[in-house]
Amino acid sequence: MAYSNKVIDHYNNPRNVGTLDKASSEVGTGLVGAPECGDVMRLQIKVNPETQIIEDAKFKTFGCGSAIASSSLATEWIKGKNVEDALAIKNTDIVKELALPPVKIHCSVLAEDAIRAAIGDWKKKQSASQAAPVTAEAK
Amino acid sequence: MATETNIPTGNAVATEGASLCWSCNAALAGNAHFCPNCGKVQPSTPIDYFEFFSLGAAPARKLDIDLPALEREFYRLSRKLHPDVFARASTREQQWSLEKSSQLNDAYRTLKDPIARTQYLLELEGVKLEEQSSAATLVARTSGEEKKQVVPPELLEEVFELNMQLQEMRMNKEMGEDDPAIVSDLQNAKSRFETMLDDLTSELKSYWNEWDATISAPGSSESDRIRVRDKLVDLLNRRSYIRNLVRDVNQALAG
Repeated sequence: MAYSNKVIDHYNNPRNVGTLDKASSEVGTGLVGAPECGDVMRLQIKVNPETQIIEDAKFKTFGCGSAIASSSLATEWIKGKNVEDALAIKNTDIVKELALPPVKIHCSVLAEDAIRAAIGDWKKKQSASQAAPVTAEAK
Repeated sequence: MATETNIPTGNAVATEGASLCWSCNAALAGNAHFCPNCGKVQPSTPIDYFEFFSLGAAPARKLDIDLPALEREFYRLSRKLHPDVFARASTREQQWSLEKSSQLNDAYRTLKDPIARTQYLLELEGVKLEEQSSAATLVARTSGEEKKQVVPPELLEEVFELNMQLQEMRMNKEMGEDDPAIVSDLQNAKSRFETMLDDLTSELKSYWNEWDATISAPGSSESDRIRVRDKLVDLLNRRSYIRNLVRDVNQALAG
């Protein structure tokens, strides 16, 4: 099966591979897996507590080229976005951008899961550390 | 051709799951490859692989099958259905022998492999193994709730950690050429992963037995079936991560 040029580019030059400090209150970590193929993906975000903007994102993926490309693209997309906008990214956006074939759609699902899981982890840390709930501020 | 004019149209079905021989009108089991009366090859029908080998029809397909017996039956049918045997038969019989030979090969390849057999059964049972993860993602997206991972988070942590270690060993190997310490690290990892995989295979076999007992128990309900079915799905999901580790460590040792 032929990979698209974009997949090959991300695979050869993956963006934002690495690790952020898991213990930091500003960092959210998502660890997800695709049972279809046995791939595992860890995606981490560092969020500015004032602006809610994702200032940094790192990933580490053990899997096929499409899984690596999907997570690399995901980190590129979420950097600079606020968390709510990042949550709006759908796996189909990744499929379109990377021209993934149907058998590789689960790789894009994995990347969407990773974004959600990282943001979910960060939100949990926020509500745990803040005495006043976030919803009270929004009103 | 006189023999072909008096064929009953279609395959007149005598009783449920049974039919009549196209040639001599004798009653046949639905999955008979040959007529027990006149010995003629029967039309190929779209039956599942379990039924092809008479290993139980829906919903009572058995998972713990006798492999030596399956192999003997495969060779016996291969000889009997081989297209060469039908070189002088009618065009239709030639066609059926060809179709049945190809069905036979697919069925044997799937059933002799424990994992392929289990996956095949689960798909016949309506489980969409390839789509379970995206289905759960869709639920999470619309509800806003966190997605429930299909495998336990502890296993993901462990697999991720093992992958990290393996990657480090591979990098060391690439740089340090054939450092015996690195090779022995890799060999230890390999035997550890293989033990994990073996344990999962034993677990799989215990679920096969549970499945076979459930489908043949007179009082078993649909929810009993689903309970065992889901255990099988869960096991295959966990296994795919360990299988990758075994594959990667072997690659590292070979490369």
